Amino acid sequence: MVTHDSGAQDFPDRRNNRFAAAIFRTDHKTIGLRYLWLALFSVFVGVTASLIMRLEVVWPVAHLSLFSHFGPVPDRYAVLTLLHGSLMVFMVLTTAPQAGFATYLLPSQIGARDVAFPKLSALAFWATAFSFLGMVAAFFLTPAAGITVWMASVAVFCAAALLVAVNLGVTVIDLRAKGMTLPRLPITVWAWCVNAILGMLIFSSLLAVCVCLLADRFLGTQIFGSWAFPAQLSTYSQADTFIPEWQRLFWFFTQAQVYVAMIPCFGLVTHVLATLARRPVWMYRPVVLAICGFGVLGFCIWGEHLFVNGLNPSASLTFSRLAAALGFPAIIFVVSWFGTLWGGQARATTSMLFTLGFISLFLSGGLSGLILARHDLQSTSARGDFVAGHFHLVMGVAAAFAMLAGLFFWFPKMFGRPLDERLGKLHFWLTFAGVYCVFMPMHWMGLITYTSVTSQDPAMTLATESFLGTFVTVAILFTTAAQTFFVANFVRSLRRSAQPAEPNPWRATTLEWACQSPVAQEGLVSRETVVYRGAYEFGAEDCGGVAAADFFPQHVPLDVAGITAPHESRVNGESAPPSSQPAGAG
Amino acid sequence: MPGTRETQDYREIQEIEIILDDVDSGPPVPPGGRDGGEDQNRRPQPEPPAAGRRYHTAILLAIVSITIFFMALTTAFLVRKTGQDWVPAELPPVIWLNTIVLLASSATMELSRHRLSAGDVRGFRNFWQLTTALGVLFLVGQLLAWGQLVAQGVFVASNPASSFFYIFTAAHGIHLLGGVCALMYVLVHAFKRTEAPRALAAEVTSYYWHFMDGLWVFLVALLYLGK
Repeated sequence: MVTHDSGAQDFPDRRNNRFAAAIFRTDHKTIGLRYLWLALFSVFVGVTASLIMRLEVVWPVAHLSLFSHFGPVPDRYAVLTLLHGSLMVFMVLTTAPQAGFATYLLPSQIGARDVAFPKLSALAFWATAFSFLGMVAAFFLTPAAGITVWMASVAVFCAAALLVAVNLGVTVIDLRAKGMTLPRLPITVWAWCVNAILGMLIFSSLLAVCVCLLADRFLGTQIFGSWAFPAQLSTYSQADTFIPEWQRLFWFFTQAQVYVAMIPCFGLVTHVLATLARRPVWMYRPVVLAICGFGVLGFCIWGEHLFVNGLNPSASLTFSRLAAALGFPAIIFVVSWFGTLWGGQARATTSMLFTLGFISLFLSGGLSGLILARHDLQSTSARGDFVAGHFHLVMGVAAAFAMLAGLFFWFPKMFGRPLDERLGKLHFWLTFAGVYCVFMPMHWMGLITYTSVTSQDPAMTLATESFLGTFVTVAILFTTAAQTFFVANFVRSLRRSAQPAEPNPWRATTLEWACQSPVAQEGLVSRETVVYRGAYEFGAEDCGGVAAADFFPQHVPLDVAGITAPHESRVNGESAPPSSQPAGAG
Repeated sequence: MPGTRETQDYREIQEIEIILDDVDSGPPVPPGGRDGGEDQNRRPQPEPPAAGRRYHTAILLAIVSITIFFMALTTAFLVRKTGQDWVPAELPPVIWLNTIVLLASSATMELSRHRLSAGDVRGFRNFWQLTTALGVLFLVGQLLAWGQLVAQGVFVASNPASSFFYIFTAAHGIHLLGGVCALMYVLVHAFKRTEAPRALAAEVTSYYWHFMDGLWVFLVALLYLGK
């Protein structure tokens, strides 16, 4: 038993208290779920914030009493934007796919009993929760105090994210089960690992920026010059010197942050797609390289955001080329997804629908990304709704779809009961239609704003714009309302109105399904786990129809499975021992 | 419902045990690790040698992360230096002494680890204590350096160059303070058989310490040459 491993009996009476017990739990499944709950809660707060913003934009007359309570309306509106952005980016997009899903699933998928440093993992969660409170509190304070609290919260968040990144990185590098060689890792694990390394690099730079900003505020230093006080600037050139300094550091983090949010989503989607389509991930190795490519390129293109603010022209071109080069790994992913689907026996379950929805959103949002990567085109539309539409579609909504696909897929693992398929599909179709209605017109609005400069008929342009604005707001209301189906579904399954799930409802091969659901307190997988094959051994037709099962779990030896796995050569012998090659070879 | 109460109690006990497990165990025993996974049903078992690898990896990843942190500050420094209001600042003289102290502490640390690997625990403790003392001396020296600056009337907010001096030394000092804590931990902690051995703890601490040492040399060079 886990609980007897290391001298627990020495202190029989300590912390005989449920509350303290709950606070100090370090089990990776508990921590992972707590991250997911935090993200779920944040997403609702964030969506509410955006809803209020849209209502304020479209019907400014309808005074929202909420605003006037807390101070001047323009201030409140600005803080609302900050609240929406910081909650969505930090608490949802960074926390859920990486800290949440990875802390929960990664140790089980590689056959480890827990993350490398469980106590650090728990500490990181509480720091994250603390920083969430800070970010929300910033909304209710005066602007000066609020922004200080917000910066401190971001600094705390960075420290927590660094802990998570180091922890997960070490777990993948050192704690894989016997036989879990690098080519046998599920794609999800690859994505989390690359992402952990990327996160380690960028969150420490954001931490440095926060330290400088806080020093500027508290110690009176002038690291960012008089950047915060444009009124005191004597010349514009002075501003020119300092603002890029801030921007470089800021975009160094922020551009890579987009990939920190997306890379684990690629992993989740690829994994779910292969499992549900009953096909191995097509081009496994190129896909792994594509993940690494996203990591490396994502880290290198921060200058893309400085086009508007003036860079050396050749630097501008370099960044433009690098940003466009992101198309290669993206295309590898897309080709792999379609290749996996091709000839697969895809079942249109809800998680499959969300996966396909992700691909659709990623493609349509990615197209405008190619336009934005052009350094000569971008400046004209850089500040408009075009960019807002682009990054919301790719980073926000597509990532949310990937997370929902993951949630529907692993919900039986987490809670022992599946989510309802009918409600889930209804939720999917309404949301899918809703988000397209919200963000496609936003692209259009961005283009109209640009053309209105040269337009023949300004009144006409204005009318179109105002119509589109109203349309978008109504669509947001509609999409938000559609989420009640999700909440209902969620609550229904949590309250155990649904039938208990089978241990392995999706007939998946990876290790986390090797035990009953939900998992008891001891590790997800038994300690003797040995991995015998790659993560995506699906499809029995290759064996001449001998096999009843169409999948080969990673932990089942060949002689138990009865036949040769379709993708493992017979030359090695039927009951080949697990690869004796040490897993750390890579 | 019959049985509910029992289930609850059982869960409670499990929770408590898990906490105790985590509070007391020090480094957790590795899960089905490649080399240590098979013999985990026996207890108490010594930590298998391969399990120590996670500490190596963790400290190396942490070092990468800290490097980026200081590189970001360095970038800010180099860009800020081109501003029109930049006033070059002289380094306080005690800095050079501090540098020598810190370099010496790295040397004594290696001597100490050498003793430990030779089985001379007493010699290890002496040199390790000396290392810790030198580390503390360095931190005191840094405070003296701040004192010298203050005596000259150079404060944090005096000019951008002084700001950077204070921020760099403070950030490095806080990281080094963590190193001093690790040194003391290695010295006073009674390493149980179930935990990673002292030699491993000493080795991992030494990586961090030497890194802090090298980082300081870099920072002094930056502040001296870049003023």
